Amino acid sequence: MNHTLRQVFRSGKFVVGFSIFTTILLTVLIYPLIIPDSPLAIIGQGTFFPPGIYVNVYDSIEAPHYTLNLDAAIEKRIASKLNDEDRLAMKEWLIAAGLSESEIDTTDTVQLLDQWVNHYDPAKPIPGLTNAKRNYFIRLNNALEGLLSTEGVSLAVKNPETGALEEVGVIEQSAYANINQVASVRVLPLGTDNFGRDVLTELVTATRVSLQIGFVAGIVATMIGLTLGLLAGYVGGLVDDIIMFVTNLFIVIPGFVLLILISFSLGQEQRGAVTVAVVIGLTSWVWTAKAVRAQVVSLRNRDHVNLSKLSGHSVGRIILVDILPYIASYVVMALILQISSAILAEAGLSILGLGPRTTEVPTLGLMMNWAMIYQAQILGKWWAYLPVLITIALIAFSMNLMNTGLDQVFNPTLRD
Amino acid sequence: MSNVMLDVRELTTKYVTRFQEDVYAVDHVSLKVEEGKSLGIAGESGCGKSTLALSLMGYYFPPLHYMSGDIIIDGKNISGMKPDDVRKSVLGKEIAYIPQAAMNALNPTQKIIHFIEDVLKAHDLYLTKADIHKRAQTLFENLGLPAEVLQKYPVELSGGMKQRTVIAVSVLLFPKVLIADEPSSALDVTSQKMVIKMLRQLMEVGFISSMIFITHELPLLYNVVDDIMVMYAGQIVEKGTSDEVVFDPIHPYAKGLMGSIIVPEEGLRDVKLTAIPGVPPNLKKPPTGCRFAERCKYVRPECRVNPIPMREIGNGRAYRCLIPEHELREIYAREAQPHGR
Amino acid sequence: MKGYRKYFLNKLVWFLITLVFAFVLNFILPRLMPGDPVAAIVARLAQGVSNSTGVQAIYQQYAEQFGTNKPILEQFFLYMQNVMRGDFGFSFSQYPRTVADVIGSSIGWTLALQFPAIIVGWLIGNTLGALAAYLKGSFDKVIMPVSIFVSSLPAFGVAVIMLVIFGVQLQWFPTSGGYGFDLIPSLSSTFIWSVIVHYQLPFWSIVLIAIGGQAIGMRSMSIYELNADYVKYSRFMGIKDSTIVGYVFRNAMLPQITGLALSVGTMVGGALVAEIIFSYPGLGFTLLNGVLGQDYPLISAATLIITIMVLSANFIIEILYGVIDPRIKAAQSD
Repeated sequence: MNHTLRQVFRSGKFVVGFSIFTTILLTVLIYPLIIPDSPLAIIGQGTFFPPGIYVNVYDSIEAPHYTLNLDAAIEKRIASKLNDEDRLAMKEWLIAAGLSESEIDTTDTVQLLDQWVNHYDPAKPIPGLTNAKRNYFIRLNNALEGLLSTEGVSLAVKNPETGALEEVGVIEQSAYANINQVASVRVLPLGTDNFGRDVLTELVTATRVSLQIGFVAGIVATMIGLTLGLLAGYVGGLVDDIIMFVTNLFIVIPGFVLLILISFSLGQEQRGAVTVAVVIGLTSWVWTAKAVRAQVVSLRNRDHVNLSKLSGHSVGRIILVDILPYIASYVVMALILQISSAILAEAGLSILGLGPRTTEVPTLGLMMNWAMIYQAQILGKWWAYLPVLITIALIAFSMNLMNTGLDQVFNPTLRD
Repeated sequence: MSNVMLDVRELTTKYVTRFQEDVYAVDHVSLKVEEGKSLGIAGESGCGKSTLALSLMGYYFPPLHYMSGDIIIDGKNISGMKPDDVRKSVLGKEIAYIPQAAMNALNPTQKIIHFIEDVLKAHDLYLTKADIHKRAQTLFENLGLPAEVLQKYPVELSGGMKQRTVIAVSVLLFPKVLIADEPSSALDVTSQKMVIKMLRQLMEVGFISSMIFITHELPLLYNVVDDIMVMYAGQIVEKGTSDEVVFDPIHPYAKGLMGSIIVPEEGLRDVKLTAIPGVPPNLKKPPTGCRFAERCKYVRPECRVNPIPMREIGNGRAYRCLIPEHELREIYAREAQPHGR
Repeated sequence: MKGYRKYFLNKLVWFLITLVFAFVLNFILPRLMPGDPVAAIVARLAQGVSNSTGVQAIYQQYAEQFGTNKPILEQFFLYMQNVMRGDFGFSFSQYPRTVADVIGSSIGWTLALQFPAIIVGWLIGNTLGALAAYLKGSFDKVIMPVSIFVSSLPAFGVAVIMLVIFGVQLQWFPTSGGYGFDLIPSLSSTFIWSVIVHYQLPFWSIVLIAIGGQAIGMRSMSIYELNADYVKYSRFMGIKDSTIVGYVFRNAMLPQITGLALSVGTMVGGALVAEIIFSYPGLGFTLLNGVLGQDYPLISAATLIITIMVLSANFIIEILYGVIDPRIKAAQSD
């Protein structure tokens, strides 16, 4: 046993897969301890807030202000107001006004502004310039003039008695607040989803739930498969024929169809996470049963088994002591595969809308479902679905790796 | 002086393992087989017999690499030839190989006759299908195989039948040298007998000019081949006629090998079976001196120092040991004295 | 040809048995569950007052046609009768369309999309796997990890990624529908072109999904075969490598065909999800709508049709296998 373990951990593929998987597992277990927020709490009013650090603007006014004179500040401020379209428009106008193209660099904000200020004349006739365009340039110019001033913004508060606005302070353009001193700051590394929930917290919980579903389903399926396989393989005869007949039937009939039928018929009320897991387990035991049976059949006539039979040991004992240890490796591999496919099955079910109840816990599949329904992909809100996809892929990938690694350890012929 | 069909001089080939280590499985092996004669190669598993057989074919595939030496078949030196030439003109034509466990040597989804067609086509023999069929049929009938085998798939034939089919296919082009690698090891006794008979017949009828028979089953060799070579750890340790090697072995290893055979004859009870203790050396780092030194009863300090050359004692008899022949014979004679008398 | 008869008969009988079993399951399973949809329909009928008369009519019609108040066995026979006639009742969610109508209009899209895609994916996957085994070296080192990764991606993952990259970012292809929204189905070239354009993303997504698993399997099979004894023997008899490669791949293909037969079910499942992601008007989408609309007759019929599709595909492939593997012919002939 020890020797096997050592061999297993020497297999490159297994170690990589195992590390990825344990990292995910640890994250899932430790994260809630650090951030105890409820995953389904709606914190964003509005949909799909992009990832970033959210600073409470109100609090930042109250926080102590520091004056920083940064060269790049003005540029950045203007740059954020001037998008590419505007710059290209400015360039167009400047060229039409007589400047040569090589002199104009739309990426150099200061220089561009300079040229604009020096040359812009709303009265100048430009051939082909429509009225709409002309107005556009006038507006642009006005906006730019505002940009170049160095005046701060006034802070006013309504006088409760007169109703008039009274100035209580000025916020200079060079005023900075230290983020650590702002009362309320929230980091949303993955933004919010369509409901306004913190995607990262949701993701971690969803991963945990999906993993739980996967484990339960995997264990259910493996137990069923193991039992049936053992019975069919060891007892043989009529029992074998019956079990094999049933198994073959279930192999051809697509499991997901049964899954859909059962899940739908259960109805939303009944579909807790555990129920879904059990249902998945009940529809995916087929391959494990077949594989276990094949192994048991080949073990059935081995010498040590025959010896036990001759010694008069009971069937139960023979199965436990003589057969089980030899198929243990296959069972472990089957379990890993079952867990992995169960997680994927849950995701598929959720996308169809047949997954676990949506009000209790999120699952990876449910997150995908929501993203899809609210068209996250088409809107380009990648944070709502890409992290989920990557997590699913990582889980499946790490389990596949572990399985391939184990396979190579137990079947030396497959080693490359 | 009859024709020398196969002349191998100082052939050395190596395996390169996954970890880029060299294993010299065939180390400066020299042998000669004359027309009409058969040579047996005996030795324990892992001594390099099969590798030798593969090396003799002249067609090398990773991880097997050719290092040095010459292979001359009926006067033609094939060691320097380009692989494609070797494939077209040598393989199957000059020298043919019957693999171990020949049952699996046939493509399971191909009829025997189609395989034969492919073989003949590969050697640029432009025969019509009808000719090929006729040729195959005649060959099979001559060798005592029913012609309907040609139309069957390997799965429809018994183990013994498959083996004999493989032998028949191997001699399709009437090769000068036929190498049979453990042709009967995987068979039951009756099939074994038929296979041996068939091989003998091939020589008698002249379908092949010479044969090399590789086996670890010593009792078999005596009845089949004219000369015997004993291999150990990639080297030849004794050469001679069958009679000489079996009944009068010189090299301690050969002596031990012959001593471990049960021969159901008179006086069996008085003969003690000897087993040779220990295991063959690791060919990745072969010992500097005699490779048998670890297990040899008569080992002396000088044995482990330098590589041991073959000692020729005339008439093709040779052995690889530092101890002079007469000394070894004395030792053996003393040991053969029954105890307690 | 006589040899085939036994094999063919064998497979046919099996096909029919599984078909019957599928019908029974499709009928029984929903009624065994705690949320039995048929019982719910009966209950709704009994209530009478809580629903608008329109909805009442729908349930009424279902109850009459499928005899929800009769004993189970009678219900089953009624059900079978109806199905044989191709009558699945009215769709709850798309009343007054019949279920048969809804399915009929979507099954064509699914068949046209999935089966070519699965076959193409299978072919490409096997070729890649075979090449990886034969060429070894850097080709193999690249193909292997990529295949493992792609096959770990769930079906919808591949579909979403394709959608985002080619549909949204690069805008090469439309992201939903079977054809342009503004077009009416006709045989005009604009319509046909639109169909082709909309076909691309779902098609290639399914192909990719199919490739992933196949490449790895074929590579393992090929490596196994390439090391087989008959390869060495053929070499030693002087047969050219190119001929030998032909032997090897023919032999490695056979288990792959069987593998395809067994995995066609899973592949179809993945393909259905891909359809949903692309809002492609096939059975997947129909199923989704059925679930959203609590449309039991639609779901029941859709799952049945899908099952029959898979069983038929499985049957056809098994027959094909019998034709291709020469040993089947031989083994049966005596």
